[in-house]
Amino acid sequence: MIEDQLLIWKFKLGDRDALRRIYAKYKNDLLKLAVSLANDVNTAEDVVQDVFVSFAQTGSRIRPTGNLRKYLVTCTANRIRNRRRDRARHETSDIEKAAGTLCGRRGPEQWAILSEELALLSEAMARIPYEQREVVSLHMEGAMTFRAIAAIQNASINTVQGRYRYGTDKLRSLLNGELRHEAGE
Amino acid sequence: MKPANDIEQFFKKAVIDTDPGMDRTVLNVVLMAHDKTTDKSSAAAKPRIRRITMKSPITKAAAAAAIIALVVLGLFEFMGSSKSGVVWGEVAQKVQASSGLSLRIMETSSVSPDDSDYAIKYFCPTGSRSDAYKNGQITRSHCSNTETMTSTALFHSTKCYISRPCKKGSEGFLEQDENWTNPKYLVQQILAVEYKELGKKMVDGVLCEGLETSDPAVMGALVEMVDRLDVHMELWVDAQTQYPVRFEGKMAGEAEGQVMESECVIDQFQWDVELDPSLFELDIPPDYVSMRSM
Repeated sequence: MIEDQLLIWKFKLGDRDALRRIYAKYKNDLLKLAVSLANDVNTAEDVVQDVFVSFAQTGSRIRPTGNLRKYLVTCTANRIRNRRRDRARHETSDIEKAAGTLCGRRGPEQWAILSEELALLSEAMARIPYEQREVVSLHMEGAMTFRAIAAIQNASINTVQGRYRYGTDKLRSLLNGELRHEAGE
Repeated sequence: MKPANDIEQFFKKAVIDTDPGMDRTVLNVVLMAHDKTTDKSSAAAKPRIRRITMKSPITKAAAAAAIIALVVLGLFEFMGSSKSGVVWGEVAQKVQASSGLSLRIMETSSVSPDDSDYAIKYFCPTGSRSDAYKNGQITRSHCSNTETMTSTALFHSTKCYISRPCKKGSEGFLEQDENWTNPKYLVQQILAVEYKELGKKMVDGVLCEGLETSDPAVMGALVEMVDRLDVHMELWVDAQTQYPVRFEGKMAGEAEGQVMESECVIDQFQWDVELDPSLFELDIPPDYVSMRSM
């Protein structure tokens, strides 16, 4: 937390190195969060790049005492939600339908390199409703409290906790099935 | 492979790495975006307030009126409402002319929550100082001195500090950092947009006259950066001394899907007071550790 305060402080004073360090510190976490939310590596990469570009342009407004991690995690989640909404408007197939074949396969100019577990997790996440997926990802990956997630989802804490329970149950079931299948059971 | 009964453990094992070449490419894009923004803001830092307000035809006229009010002292009587005892142009002038000022600010924000209960701020022509408190204990002090061009912050709970010179290009930062907590900026902005007079009422034991605005243009540059912006501000001024007594502001905005909400109350103003110059030079306690070395 103190390190983040220092980085924000330096960044606000125009220090490019602080921006480099913020990027290095959070890129993997944000990419992992974005992959688990979007289930599409290309979308995840685009979103995380956009988050950093936007932060570089307007992040100086964040206070030196602001929670940098929460700020970046929220930006990432919001951008993915917006993309989903836009795609739902303009395309007949949504992210989940287009995904599955994309996740975990690395192209020549791909930024993110997924472990086998993350590819598996991402595919399982794609099979649970988005609201549940968002709660599970933000809580586990983004280290956000249910109260903070409730504010983002504009829902009650009980609803968010319910989504977390249903989401993790479904994930557990899916991952157990996948893993048993992979093991040839 | 063992069945994934523990989802949390599975999340931890699911790691991601990045291609170093693409890392550099993306970082270059991010740094270029930052450089472009920095160039723009430093070039336009000085006339910031005027530049913002002049973009809208409505605020153009209002800004012009406010500037005239500050310059042409003889016209002050015509700036205020005929129903009101407070001459708002004079309020702006008194605020601008106040040499020393202290106030209390209580602020909450959804985007960058501050854990302090309140902060006491001091302003003088050569700098500003802010002391944040939590449960009655001072947690943070921040001082900007435009004479020495240094900016220093002490984090008392962790016994850390950071102090560095403000470069030429960071003057805008000082201005930005203070804006909504600096009554000089605040009053000027409110009087430069559309506002409505609220009449008289007792505020903190003082007979005051108030005005309110819901004009998003009051937020200056922010209005251009967001998709939606709802603002409500009230300013209450001592009917006798014509100095602000209380400010209340609420803002809710949405940008790129991110919702921001903030509330702010400023009170306990002490206007035109003599402040000890040493107040604007923070002494770093010997047992505090520089954050740069961390």
